[in-house]
Amino acid sequence: MKALLKLTVLILPISFILMFFVLLTDDTPYPGADYDVFDMPQFQLKNLQDNELIFNSDIQGDYIVNIWASWCITCRIEHPYLMNLSKQGMPIIGLNYKDERRDAIDWLEKYGNPYETVIHDLKGTLALDMGVTGAPETFLVNNGEIVAHYQGEINPSIWADVFMPVIDDREMF
Amino acid sequence: MIVEISHFLSVLATGLFFLTGCFSLAVRNTSYISNLISRTYSHAFLFLIISFLIYVWLAITDNFSVQYIASHSNSDLPVFYKISSIWSAHEGSMFLWIVFLSLWGFVFNLNINNDEALKPKAIGVISLILVGFLIFLLVTSNPFSTILPIAPLNGADINPVLQDPALAIHPPTLYLGYVGFVIPFACAISFLLIGDSDIQWERLVRKWSVASWVFLTAGITLGSWWAYYELGWGGYWFWDPVENVALMPWLAATAFLHSLSVSIKSSHLRIWTILLSILVFSLSLFGAFIVRSGIIDSVHAFANDPDRGLYLLAFISIIVLMSMFLFIFRFSVIKSADNIKRFSKESFISLNNIFFASLIFSVMLGVTYPLIYEYLYDQKISVGAPFYNAIFIPITILASLFLFISVDSRWSRSINIKFFTKPIVISIMLSIIATATIVFLFNTKVIAIYLSIFFGLLIIFRYLIEMWNSFNYKKYINPFSVIAHFSLGLLLVSISFNSLLSSERAMNIKIDEYEEYKGMKVYFNDIKFVEASNYDAVQAEFYIEDSAGKNFTLNPEKRRYFTRGQITTETAIKVTILRDIYLTIGDQLDDGSWVVNIQLNYFIRWIWFSAALMAFAGIVLVFSKRKI
Repeated sequence: MKALLKLTVLILPISFILMFFVLLTDDTPYPGADYDVFDMPQFQLKNLQDNELIFNSDIQGDYIVNIWASWCITCRIEHPYLMNLSKQGMPIIGLNYKDERRDAIDWLEKYGNPYETVIHDLKGTLALDMGVTGAPETFLVNNGEIVAHYQGEINPSIWADVFMPVIDDREMF
Repeated sequence: MIVEISHFLSVLATGLFFLTGCFSLAVRNTSYISNLISRTYSHAFLFLIISFLIYVWLAITDNFSVQYIASHSNSDLPVFYKISSIWSAHEGSMFLWIVFLSLWGFVFNLNINNDEALKPKAIGVISLILVGFLIFLLVTSNPFSTILPIAPLNGADINPVLQDPALAIHPPTLYLGYVGFVIPFACAISFLLIGDSDIQWERLVRKWSVASWVFLTAGITLGSWWAYYELGWGGYWFWDPVENVALMPWLAATAFLHSLSVSIKSSHLRIWTILLSILVFSLSLFGAFIVRSGIIDSVHAFANDPDRGLYLLAFISIIVLMSMFLFIFRFSVIKSADNIKRFSKESFISLNNIFFASLIFSVMLGVTYPLIYEYLYDQKISVGAPFYNAIFIPITILASLFLFISVDSRWSRSINIKFFTKPIVISIMLSIIATATIVFLFNTKVIAIYLSIFFGLLIIFRYLIEMWNSFNYKKYINPFSVIAHFSLGLLLVSISFNSLLSSERAMNIKIDEYEEYKGMKVYFNDIKFVEASNYDAVQAEFYIEDSAGKNFTLNPEKRRYFTRGQITTETAIKVTILRDIYLTIGDQLDDGSWVVNIQLNYFIRWIWFSAALMAFAGIVLVFSKRKI
């Protein structure tokens, strides 16, 4: 009986420690990244610039969707990198998230517009369907299918480690 | 320059704690050694506390050359929040955590006589734990690192949800509770190290354990209250991972206090008590690990850094495994009385400990299972309220039943419990009548709620009768036990009423219109834009007329803070004795109406009151004249 107690007393903490060790070390270095594949949700929202309705069919092929807002400080930080990507010819769709239209347009005029199209998602409905928790977040879309998702600021190393493997794998762009 | 002094002092303290620790564990005890250890500990503590006070001073005087202060404080903040900004993120809060740990050791050092056989080794254990955490602080999360050559002018800002008085005091209270359990832990370890079964370490740590338990109880209660009105969660408990991580040490500590009193009274359960003292402190450390390793996402989780997680895991593993090995090797030394008598107080407390152990295990499972599952199946799942309710409700009801029966039991005596004594019959009758009335009034089919109301009332009435007897017939009662268990009854009843009566609804209202809800008329009077020094906000004005014809206005807000761009919801709450009317505003819809969420939270203040009363019971014991 005592031997059993002794054994339990040792094995229980050791197994917990091992488990946490495995979880900590195995964890991808980018906890904001996930690779769940699902269809780009259906939406019917307005284009930020011309206030015209915009649908799924208006954007096709391979592109990235960047969730941003004028009130979001981190978006300001990742903005230069997005400008850079767009100069290299990367099609970026902006999803303006829970933002006033006027503020958003001012922001783009002030800092520059890296986006091909900006969808104005005032209530965050499309963002909700996509599983967005905040801004900034970035999605990689391959022929109408979301194939990679990153929560947080993207920069060259995140681009190289999180998105490039998928892009190469699927031979996108 | 001042930063460097502060930094240097804490490094010095680390060295001195290291010497104290090694020395006390390596050298055989004499009164000379014992005095020496006591003094070196005090000096090391002095260095550390001065280092911390300088740090506080740096925060007050807006010294933004310190990186941590620059990124978490702001020159516009009131002094109070400049200080509390220190524990608003990882580095500073870890610093505070360590300072509190050393403070407990210091107070223990001052209060316990140097002749006490356990003391030098206990101080040594505390010192070595401090060394581990100080190295963690200085190496992986240094709060002293500076921004050179040019310091920013204004600093960033403290997270707006943390700019709140309850939050400023909630973490320190909780930390005091967590780290306070280092005292029973260190004493248990030095008891095992010395290996003399006649030393009664249990008596020594009783009041210290109760004091830590008081802080832990108060800290959890404050946290619950803060989440309710500041985070806008609208309830008292959410089974959030970090809430659970605080609940586990609390459950273990409560079990420990029970088992401790058995060991003191009659030398039963001594081995189990030692195991529990190790468990309580390990669970406190586990909490620090969960929150600071970023392994679980939660409102409380700090920025993610795998190195920190690994260091903490390694250090905590060393502490836990070494204690467990020591426990196993010294197992046979501990003399514990066998054969607990049937229906004695000891027997009921053993039963209570089984209940508590199952609760701790279940919470642990709930916290870790999503992690295991995600690792094995690469899918996220969440374990939420239904799981915990399914386990807590039956166990709590069962435990309450045994608590009710146990009131008449005696220490070390097996008396046949009479079920037809006056107090038992009266409390059963009263509870049946009250519960029947409630069943009649509120027609729900959830039997668990009625059961917990019934057993909660049973406990309340039973202990009220005890208090009455003590007043009128001078019957001896233990005020700590009576008040604490009475609060438990109150807590059960309040929680049951809360889930029975509370309701909420989301409404769409336009300005100048009104909605009716549960006999109340909610008029939407006005909405305006307000600008404050560090945020702007939309503030709504609602005029509410309740069924009794009383009326009042409520002003919920949505704020946007400039520095971080963060949006927060400011709830508006009308507090009455029985219920809170809780209002939040959401977004504006296309037709111009606003989404307004209204909640009626019944008995929610009673829940916190019960928890506070429970903590108060502990204060009564700590300041009572009883030796143990």
